Amino acid sequence: MSHATAEKADTAAKPVAHKKKVALSEGKRAERKLGWLLCAPAAITMLAVTGWPILYSILLSMQRFDLKFPDRTEWIWFDNYVTVLSSPYWWDAVWVTVLLTVFTVAIELVLGMALALIMHRALVGRGIVRTTSLIPYGIVTVVAAFSWRFAWTPGTGYLAEALGGDPVLTEKIPALLVVGLAEIWKTTPFMALLLMAGLALVPDDLLKAAAMDGASAWQRFIKITVPIMKPAILVALLFRTLDAFRIFDNLFVLTAGSQGTSSVSMLTYNNLIKGLNLGIGSTMSVLIFLMVALIAFIFIKLFGTAAPGSNDGGKR
Amino acid sequence: MAGIGGAETTGKKVGWGVLNTVVVIYALIPVLWIASLSFKSPATLADGNFIPREWSLENYKNIFATSEFTRALINSIGIAIIATVIAVVFGTMAAYAIARLDFPGKNLLVGVSLLIAMFPQVSLVSPLFEIERGLGLFDTWPGLILPYITFALPLAIYTLSAFFREIPWELEKAAKMDGATPGQAFRRVIAPLAAPGVFTTAILVFIFCWNDFLFAISLTSTEQSRTVPVALSFFTGSSQFEDPAGRSRRQPWSSRSRSSSSCCSSSAGSSPA
Amino acid sequence: MGATRRYRLAVGAGAALLAATTLTACGSGGQGITVNVYKYNQENFQAIVDGCNAKAGGRYKIVYNKLPREADGQREQMVRRLAAEDDSMDVLALDVTWTAELAKAGWIKEFTGSVKSQVESGTLKTPLDTATYEGKLYGAPDNTNVQLLWYRSDLVPTPPKTWDEMISMAEALVAQGQPGLIVGQGKQYEGLVVLFNTLVNSNGGTILDENGTKAIVDDKAVQALAALKKLATSKAIDPSFSNSTEDPARLLMESGKAAFQLNWPYVYASAQKKPDFAKNFKWAPYPTVSGEAAKVTVGGINYAVSNYTTHPDESFDAVLCLRGAESQKLAALKDGVPPTIKSVYDEPEMVEAYPMKDDIIKTLETASVRPRTPAYQNVSTVISTILSPPANIDPQATADRLREELQNALDSKGVLP
Repeated sequence: MSHATAEKADTAAKPVAHKKKVALSEGKRAERKLGWLLCAPAAITMLAVTGWPILYSILLSMQRFDLKFPDRTEWIWFDNYVTVLSSPYWWDAVWVTVLLTVFTVAIELVLGMALALIMHRALVGRGIVRTTSLIPYGIVTVVAAFSWRFAWTPGTGYLAEALGGDPVLTEKIPALLVVGLAEIWKTTPFMALLLMAGLALVPDDLLKAAAMDGASAWQRFIKITVPIMKPAILVALLFRTLDAFRIFDNLFVLTAGSQGTSSVSMLTYNNLIKGLNLGIGSTMSVLIFLMVALIAFIFIKLFGTAAPGSNDGGKR
Repeated sequence: MAGIGGAETTGKKVGWGVLNTVVVIYALIPVLWIASLSFKSPATLADGNFIPREWSLENYKNIFATSEFTRALINSIGIAIIATVIAVVFGTMAAYAIARLDFPGKNLLVGVSLLIAMFPQVSLVSPLFEIERGLGLFDTWPGLILPYITFALPLAIYTLSAFFREIPWELEKAAKMDGATPGQAFRRVIAPLAAPGVFTTAILVFIFCWNDFLFAISLTSTEQSRTVPVALSFFTGSSQFEDPAGRSRRQPWSSRSRSSSSCCSSSAGSSPA
Repeated sequence: MGATRRYRLAVGAGAALLAATTLTACGSGGQGITVNVYKYNQENFQAIVDGCNAKAGGRYKIVYNKLPREADGQREQMVRRLAAEDDSMDVLALDVTWTAELAKAGWIKEFTGSVKSQVESGTLKTPLDTATYEGKLYGAPDNTNVQLLWYRSDLVPTPPKTWDEMISMAEALVAQGQPGLIVGQGKQYEGLVVLFNTLVNSNGGTILDENGTKAIVDDKAVQALAALKKLATSKAIDPSFSNSTEDPARLLMESGKAAFQLNWPYVYASAQKKPDFAKNFKWAPYPTVSGEAAKVTVGGINYAVSNYTTHPDESFDAVLCLRGAESQKLAALKDGVPPTIKSVYDEPEMVEAYPMKDDIIKTLETASVRPRTPAYQNVSTVISTILSPPANIDPQATADRLREELQNALDSKGVLP
């Protein structure tokens, strides 16, 4: 991620950077100090709370460390990684997770954008639309998941009855579809909210001018709205993907991993918390972290200058 | 923003009405199902009917029978509000610096905060527990507020800096040139533009705190700081095997109604028009 | 006006509280020993605690700390704190399957001397077995549980004696278009392990060896797998079986779609809320697999004393009271958990609340214990994963896979599913 931003600094902000090195003016020095001061509270809080726990997890991942067999603890470098990466359970879970992430995030982006446009542009009843469409996000996940399980179980739920009484949660693909649906329903408002705030920054006069020049609604959307919204889209996609990749609650309640629907987070939970195998569990955490970091890196590369922290940024 | 497409005809209004209805139905049907379950009597809970055959307030009576749920509600709201305010203030400061100022270490901060958001929280819980126990923060409000701020900050910083960069800051300069004081320029020009971003962030952070289960279950042990999602996992049916079906079912709904009202009043405030 | 009155009331209450605390402080001789009990949320447990506090006469005060409803959640909390050598936990309510793990880790104290003999006297044998590891007693049985066969007497005049009979009766009902489903626990979780353990033991098979260090899964266990598959692929099985837990099973039967249910006795109490359903809702001993009485998996809760407690004597004393006959009776009547002390079943009030008590006691006499090993969580996770969904079991191949992966789990090798 720092590559992306460094590169940008190279291309666009070269003259500035150059000047800075030669002589730090009074103003520059004040700007530096102000920047550090403003960031200090956030940086200190984050480091104080997570610094040691993250380091500790990484250290654990290189040890044989099973709370049930404390006398067998030893330093084994990357053996845990070999064990996890050669386990079929791990790869099954990775595929389930990737599939769920790709589909849910893609659909959420489309739906979220539509919802954001409706919330932003609605001529009538805007307040009602905004209020109600955010409700799903505010419901405690576990509660929503229980109600979905009820709804989809033949005999106790309206959805199962409506679809002919098939027990959808007892087969892998239908069960994953149900889990995906529950995720999409719950988190689309997250996307929509971020995108709507992005929409608020698109100047109306620009759109009006384009309309007068004969641009169609679709052209205005693609050529004007989307480019200006790029940073908002990036943030929405990035954080939604990070969360989707770590899906746990919905799966746990809806299937608990039955029918091969386990996700990487559930596998980590089983090894770390249930199995008390801190070594293997921490290894899985680090691997999830690396995969998520890779996804984030790709997104930031794709979005280029829209990434936060790049100096030229989207200022226009 | 009225009038992008010209006149507001009745046809357009009807069109919007239809669209709105679709959205409302999509969002609310599952919610109504939860509400419906909450009003069902234990005998008809499992009948699969979308509308209760027998309306009953028994479930609601049960949750409010003891102070457990009310107390959890107070904890949840209090903790979430404090964490949201602090996270948004810290986040705004950092995001302003990232969007507007040039200083070494900026990219590091942006990168590190993203990394923190990416690390699976389930493996951070045990070390955090030991730290908090050592510091006497275990089972206190600050013991939850601190991790919430921490894990909300990356999202806050990213969201806010994305918005701050899009704000046409030249307007501020222009206003000052027109004779406005810096304070006036900020209040009249910048604040209205920044508000949607700040409100959005606040809502997202609030809901993040509100929904969290992992930290809340691991870092609390009594009613003193137990939050709603955790309290739900403590409710029992008349035996250990009974699902929260019986009781906790309707807690959800009363809790939801509260969270939605808090999220929506602020979103209404953020409306840019 | 109203406000002032309320204010006065508050002041009055505050003064009373203050007086009360000073008084109790005097009574306890200024010691103020607190015994912290950690137990899942049992509705009427506070009454039991209050009763024991009164009996303690100020020597110590028991404080009830609630744990979550789900067993995994309870264990997670306790293990995290025990691993951190937390001395604020004194008495722990443990699921019967956790004894070996916590004992082996040195997290709970052995019961010895007079405390041990007091726990043992009058207590049913199978529950005591669950609290024993490597010949030592680590827990005091609080409540116990065994599944029975529940059936609809309007559809089934005489309950089936054997597993195969149950399946064929149910299939016959379904073929006639009657509500003949069999409901039970087939989701990937502990309930599936309970079912599997019952079938294996009833058939005389073995999952792990006596020491819990070697995976056996013998031929008798293969036959048990075949019996499980037969149920799961029967035309009469609940279509949601592979995603079903205790409560959905109960609800489906109460909604009138099933004729047979394999479940714990708690279903009796909830059935009584629906008189129409309850009048035909009957029970019978669990169907046999081998011809002899079924060896049904025992469940329940034992009290253990944390190794890090600073008040061991008071804690053991508190345990004796919390699981005493009086407390067990209260829990049995108010919270619906079967007692572990035999004499409690003879109390007159038990007849109405537990009409099935004779069948419970009889089933308990032949009941089986789940594998005793410190790695039980691993064993359970492996079993439930490999058996899920039960319809896909291929008896011999599944048994071979079980044997291999169970051995890995026991040795803490490899990845848990």
